[in-house]
Amino acid sequence: CCISPPAPLCLLALLLPPLRPAAPLSPAEPISQAYSLALYMQKNTSTLLQTYLQHQGSPFSDPGFSAPELQLSSLPPATVSFKVWHALDDGERLSRAQEAFLALTQHLQLVGDDQSDLNPDSPILLAQLSAARLRAQGLLGNMAAIMAALGLPIPKEEDTLGLVPFGASAFERKCRGYVVTREYGHWTDRVVRDLALLKAKYPA
Amino acid sequence: MDVHLELRRPFQGLHSKRMRMTSGFRWLLATLPLLCLMSQVNGQKRGAPRELKCVTASFQVWDCSWKGHGTLYEVCIEDRSHSCYHLEKANIKIPALPPGDHVITITSLHEFGSSRSKFILSERNVSLIPETPEILNLSADFSTSTLSIKWNDKGSAIPHHSNVIWEIKVLRKKSMELVKLATHSTTLSGRDTFHHWNWTSDMPLECVSHYVRLRSYIDDPHFSGHKEWSDWSPLKNISEIADSPTKVFPQDRVVLVGSDITFCCVSKEKVLSAQIGQTVCPLIHLDGENVAIKIQNISASANSGTNVVFTTEDNIFGTVIFAGYPPDVPQKLNCETHDLREIICSWNPGRPTSLVGPRNTSYTLLESFSGKYVRFKRVEASTNESYQLFFQMLPSQEVYNFTLIAHNPLGWAETTLSVNITERVYPHTPTSFKVKDVNSTAVTLSWRLPGNFAKISLLCQIRINKPNSVQELRNVTIKGVESSSYLVLVDKLNPYTIYTFWIRCSTETFWKWSKWSSEKQHLTTEAIPSKGPDTWREWSSDGRNLIIYWKPLPISEANGKILSYNVSCSSEEGTQSLSEIPDPQHRAEMQLDGHGYIISVVARNSVGSSPPSRIASMEIPHDDLQVEQAVGMGRRILLTWRLDPKMTCDYVIKWCNTSRSEPCLMDWKKVPSTSNATVIESDQFRPGVRYNFFLYGCKNQGYQLLRSIIGYVEELAPTVAPNFTVEETSADSILVKWDDIPVEELRGFLRGYLFYFEKGERDASKMRGLESGRSDIKVKNITDLSQKTLRIADLQGKTSYHLVLRAYTDGGMGPEKSMYVVTKENSVGLIIAILIPVAVAVAVGVVTSILCYRKREWIKETFYPDIPNPENCKALQFQKSVCEGSSALKTLEMNPCTPNNVEVLETRSTIPKIEDTEIISPVAERAAERSDADPENHVVVSYCPPIIEEEIPNPAAEEAGGPAQVIYIDVQSMYQPQAKPEEGPDLDPVPAAGYKPQMRLPVNCAVSATAVEDDLGKTAGYRPQADVNTWNLVSPDSPRSTDSTSELEPEPLVIEPKHPPCSAFQKRAAADTVRRIHARRIPQQLFSVPL
Repeated sequence: CCISPPAPLCLLALLLPPLRPAAPLSPAEPISQAYSLALYMQKNTSTLLQTYLQHQGSPFSDPGFSAPELQLSSLPPATVSFKVWHALDDGERLSRAQEAFLALTQHLQLVGDDQSDLNPDSPILLAQLSAARLRAQGLLGNMAAIMAALGLPIPKEEDTLGLVPFGASAFERKCRGYVVTREYGHWTDRVVRDLALLKAKYPA
Repeated sequence: MDVHLELRRPFQGLHSKRMRMTSGFRWLLATLPLLCLMSQVNGQKRGAPRELKCVTASFQVWDCSWKGHGTLYEVCIEDRSHSCYHLEKANIKIPALPPGDHVITITSLHEFGSSRSKFILSERNVSLIPETPEILNLSADFSTSTLSIKWNDKGSAIPHHSNVIWEIKVLRKKSMELVKLATHSTTLSGRDTFHHWNWTSDMPLECVSHYVRLRSYIDDPHFSGHKEWSDWSPLKNISEIADSPTKVFPQDRVVLVGSDITFCCVSKEKVLSAQIGQTVCPLIHLDGENVAIKIQNISASANSGTNVVFTTEDNIFGTVIFAGYPPDVPQKLNCETHDLREIICSWNPGRPTSLVGPRNTSYTLLESFSGKYVRFKRVEASTNESYQLFFQMLPSQEVYNFTLIAHNPLGWAETTLSVNITERVYPHTPTSFKVKDVNSTAVTLSWRLPGNFAKISLLCQIRINKPNSVQELRNVTIKGVESSSYLVLVDKLNPYTIYTFWIRCSTETFWKWSKWSSEKQHLTTEAIPSKGPDTWREWSSDGRNLIIYWKPLPISEANGKILSYNVSCSSEEGTQSLSEIPDPQHRAEMQLDGHGYIISVVARNSVGSSPPSRIASMEIPHDDLQVEQAVGMGRRILLTWRLDPKMTCDYVIKWCNTSRSEPCLMDWKKVPSTSNATVIESDQFRPGVRYNFFLYGCKNQGYQLLRSIIGYVEELAPTVAPNFTVEETSADSILVKWDDIPVEELRGFLRGYLFYFEKGERDASKMRGLESGRSDIKVKNITDLSQKTLRIADLQGKTSYHLVLRAYTDGGMGPEKSMYVVTKENSVGLIIAILIPVAVAVAVGVVTSILCYRKREWIKETFYPDIPNPENCKALQFQKSVCEGSSALKTLEMNPCTPNNVEVLETRSTIPKIEDTEIISPVAERAAERSDADPENHVVVSYCPPIIEEEIPNPAAEEAGGPAQVIYIDVQSMYQPQAKPEEGPDLDPVPAAGYKPQMRLPVNCAVSATAVEDDLGKTAGYRPQADVNTWNLVSPDSPRSTDSTSELEPEPLVIEPKHPPCSAFQKRAAADTVRRIHARRIPQQLFSVPL
């Protein structure tokens, strides 16, 4: 399934059905699982971003490249003011993360496709993009389990990408990929924080 | 009708003409000749029409106009019809006039009358100015930055087929910068025709407006008038794109490496910088905030393309360009088939294009006869090494003409290959390879070779490997079959042999061998042994039993596993068979009477029996033979013989170790009867072992001994020394006798003995290096092997001799055996040796006695002269005192440290006094005795040594006053005569402190001198001292006596103070001083006295 040592964890996450029947179980277990996966994802996000940028040529591959002005309207931004974030309740937090990772999985798929055109001879990059997408899907499953355990409504899966601009230029695709890999990192950081909060609230 | 038409039209024409007059300077120039013409024709009149000018756009109508002030004009043209026109304007359109000059009369009517002008008009005076063209359509292809214009040439208006030149101007930006001026030629066809012109802009069209206009020029060779450009058409433009989602152009363009390209950015904000890759480029400003950059000689891109980025204050815009190469011509295209069903074409892509993904090179393999093609599908991570395509073969087509087309966005390349596919068969590796027995020398091989080979023949190669043999290759040609199964017979094999087979195939029209099939081992079946065993026979030592030997058959002749042997013997009476002898045994013994038998031996395997090999039991008698010698080389020995025509079957050499008992047989060798030499070789041969070789010749299965040879394969040195004894010894000779060395220990043919002898005791060290050629060793080389004794003569009597004997072969020297022999005494010599010295001694004694007796007086005088009495020699005494005085003088100078001595004297003042007096006499007596006993010895010597021994080693101790005893004794022994006057040593020690050593000296001398005088008086026998002095005086040559004389020189000084009286304390001090002086001076005296 996956590529790294915590493969069993990842497998487990993938196998978890996104929709569980009413949850008499304690939410601690799925929270812990999700938290572990999120921590593991967090370790790899910067590598993914670096690998991605290295393959796009200058100026993307230049050291210290950053273009915060680039955003994707189809991808909810991860940045949020602390006050707002703190005021959110568990359900809102989880549903926002759920929404973001849903969008991210689809975007990562899109970026993977883009890169197989632009960098077909770079299996490392393609494998990392693919792994990131699978982990995001795993995390989605885990979060659904948490929401089920907490008795929260699970948001419907939506096609966040909508009409993909298939005619996007290579430059747009490179930028898109950059935003996606960057936001993937930001969202992972945010979800780690979300889950840490939940974990503290529902100790095992 | 015509006229009417003409009348109506000129107004339009005139109007247009006026406009042209104002604008076209060229037109003015063109009308100049016409003006001249008019002035020629007409006189200058006021108000008369002048400056007639005619132009045409279509050759059919001339549009003429003139200057004048009339309100009405009458124009008459003098041609065939002589038509006149009345006009209100100074302009007329007339049909084109035929060639030649025509007179045109224009009458102007005005208020104050009329005036007439005449003009001569011809085609040469008419200008051709085409109608102003109009761009019907201007379109732009933004993706390729191409502008396209369309216009109508309006050719229907012009009857001639003439060439038209169009001039097209492309302008850019609002400031109308000219970017392109192009000409375009067309031909008028008499109909209206639309023309197109395309232009590709280096600048993307999206970023900046472009404007286009054109004009024309009709180049008609038949028109003799003046030809001019038309006016420019109205401008048409393509505007920049004001609002588009993409801001940078061009997007995703694929370009050739090294080309130049311009990128532009549509922006509403100010663009700060632009860069391609990592290179920042200077900005080219276009209208508004739009900018462009120009890249020259672009280099190849990485996989994901080269990024071009424009940066504004708060955003970045970019595009990607893919710079690469068009595909290279595919290289090494090769098409072949494994099975005649599918063709595999492979090639090398050549130079990389730097383009990947959708821009990668695509390949199409087209077969031109059938028109079929296959496309190469891009594979993930394709290695750049080789590409492959599979093409299904078509039935009944053998020749294929392939074209491989490589294509990418930058271009294409192709290569072709025409093959007859039946000549390009590279078969698969044969499978299911099997071997089946046919008989003991033949097998069948079967295998599968998938493929559609029914129409061709296969060439297969069989590799046959047999143990201990060279590999064999056999080629077979087989008709190809549909079933893929093949079978072939392989014969001429050996029975009962393990073979290894491999097979590979090709086609008859050879292209490539397939890979070798897997190997198959096979053991062929057995056949009857092809020969009888090699047989020999020996009689047992008692001569009653015949032992039959045979050798196992070699595998090539055994043809199977030998199970047993049958031995039978036949005579005239019948045949007698022994029981079967199982295989590992190769020997049989049978009891036979003396008759001749024929023994036959047969080997048997599972298939059958070999032909018998026969040998007669009895040997054919032979003549007496001499035993020969032979030496081989390295386990081989070469034997040769003369061919004997009587010997019909073969020769046999048998050999054995000589030390073995009978019947002796190690091995034998059969040689065909035609050869006369053989090399005997055996692992059993050992160097240094003697073997017997017997050569037999064979006739009628009976053998006759021809030669007997003893030999070694290699000779070695003997292992033992010959045993020798001394038979006889005399005073000058020794007879030595030795024994033979046994053959086993000789280890070679004995070549001789070496006998060494030398004088010597049983002392081992001397005997080293016998061979080193020492001269005192004598060597005798005995090569006569029959000699067993040796007499060594010319020896010395009663001398120990060392004898050494050693044997040698060609293999080297044997060890040595040594012995020590002492020769007997020679009695005569001994006697002589005693007598001669005795006789000589006696004779010498006698002569000496006589001589001594005769010359006794002389001898006495010489050796024992009369000694004069030294008593009267006063000078001698003086000399002695002088001697002491002088020495004292010298010593005093050396010892300035007196105060110490004074102290010593005070502390011990009393003791020496008493003892002095008591001990005087014994010493004096002793001195006297000595002088009596040995008159030749010097007294000084006799009494001085104790002083030397005791005082010299300890001079420091003396000063410290420690060894007081020693000092004391000295005083006693030295100054016994001074004892008497020592009454008052305590008298006054004070003066002693002030006393000067120089002053005291004389006193001391006087004392000692008087003492000596007294002594002499008492002991009259004291001569030697005087003697010595005398001796010294008489022989002053000696260096020692010179010393003495030098001491004698201060004699007068000493004598002078002899008589004055000395006070007691002075004496005491002097004695003490002398005592010390003596301690130092005695050695000097010792040297000064020669013995």
